[in-house]
Amino acid sequence: MPIQTAADSISNSAGSPYGFKNRIINGAMAIDQRYAGTASASSLSGYLIDRWTIAQSTTGKLIAQQNAGSVTPPTGFTNYLGVTSQSAYTAGTNDYYAIIQTIEGYNIADLGWGTANAKTATLSFWVRSSLTGTFGATINNGGSRSYPITYTISAANTWEYKTITIPGDTSGSWGSTNGVGVQVWFSLGVGSTYGGTSGVWSSTNYVGVASTVSVVGTNGATFYITGVQLEKGSQATAFDYRDYGTELQLCMRYFQLLGSGGACGVAESATRASLTYVFPVPMRAAATGTLNAANGFLNQPQGGPNAITSMTGFFYGNGSTTTISGGWLVIDVASVLTTGKVIINSGSQGMVQFSAEL
Amino acid sequence: MYKHYPKYNGSELQCIKRLSDNACIPFDPANTDYQAYLKWLAEGNTPEPADE
Repeated sequence: MPIQTAADSISNSAGSPYGFKNRIINGAMAIDQRYAGTASASSLSGYLIDRWTIAQSTTGKLIAQQNAGSVTPPTGFTNYLGVTSQSAYTAGTNDYYAIIQTIEGYNIADLGWGTANAKTATLSFWVRSSLTGTFGATINNGGSRSYPITYTISAANTWEYKTITIPGDTSGSWGSTNGVGVQVWFSLGVGSTYGGTSGVWSSTNYVGVASTVSVVGTNGATFYITGVQLEKGSQATAFDYRDYGTELQLCMRYFQLLGSGGACGVAESATRASLTYVFPVPMRAAATGTLNAANGFLNQPQGGPNAITSMTGFFYGNGSTTTISGGWLVIDVASVLTTGKVIINSGSQGMVQFSAEL
Repeated sequence: MYKHYPKYNGSELQCIKRLSDNACIPFDPANTDYQAYLKWLAEGNTPEPADE
């Protein structure tokens, strides 16, 4: 009689209870490095809380925020992502409004999508809206393959749990390295160009479903979501609670702040300092850097602290392409440095934010 | 809109400045901001020259 091991019980086509079950990062909406819980501007069409994007084909229609509206999250969760409509807007033909997560190819390669061995996946989430009816969502590859799906919210302002099974796509080209793998779109309003038919794989880049509820269509309408999980297999299983440190590290592959003590160097001149840094977590790609001077600052510890907050710009000093593990920053300041003094950054929120998002 | 950085220690930098937010974008083909910059170039645009 053969001995059955734990590994035997995990079919290659089913989900695994071990390891990276949930391919969504920050599905519990707990990590918000950019905004720390504050609301986005209605002009935002881009990343909000970690790994989640707000898409607005015409900005000004939505604001989003971690825990918007301060309602009680569903049992087992402490955070959610909330979106509020800013007007009663009728989506035009080419419009799209959505919450999106883009999953890196490395993290979905085992699904085998685009091959004859494509595996079934299941999307599950908690959702609450001031509106009821049939809502749209889509799984796509970021351009040429999409699977529009629908789900129903039955009661207004009530958390509801939804599960949707997605047959693996045996066609198309699906990323399997550090580029786009799978995108999950939760539609908040879509025009006819981007609204497809539910439950059918398509070679069109759909991001929603035609004739479904449009959140942007009602002024003040709300849409809250959390506990988002995409897993291999045809059954939704319990949410994969990863410890906070692990989840934060997963997020930092795509975005991180250069925190206190994260860089050290020397004053080159009265107006310029040169610092090196190493990322705590290697990033997905060489990162775009943006000065975050409102929160971060330099000081000169040699001979006593001398805080400097008047940073005016920076660039990567690397002679070759910046790496994913760290680099060399050259910071320009108004004119307070003493040449040769040691420089460190000591802003708790980081003087530079790095993005290697998809 | 984008702008070149001045040379640093006599060398050309491997990054470009995005003027909307003064972001420094490295020349990495996997960086989506660099991809957007390449698309912008392909549309016939030209970055501003570096300050002297």
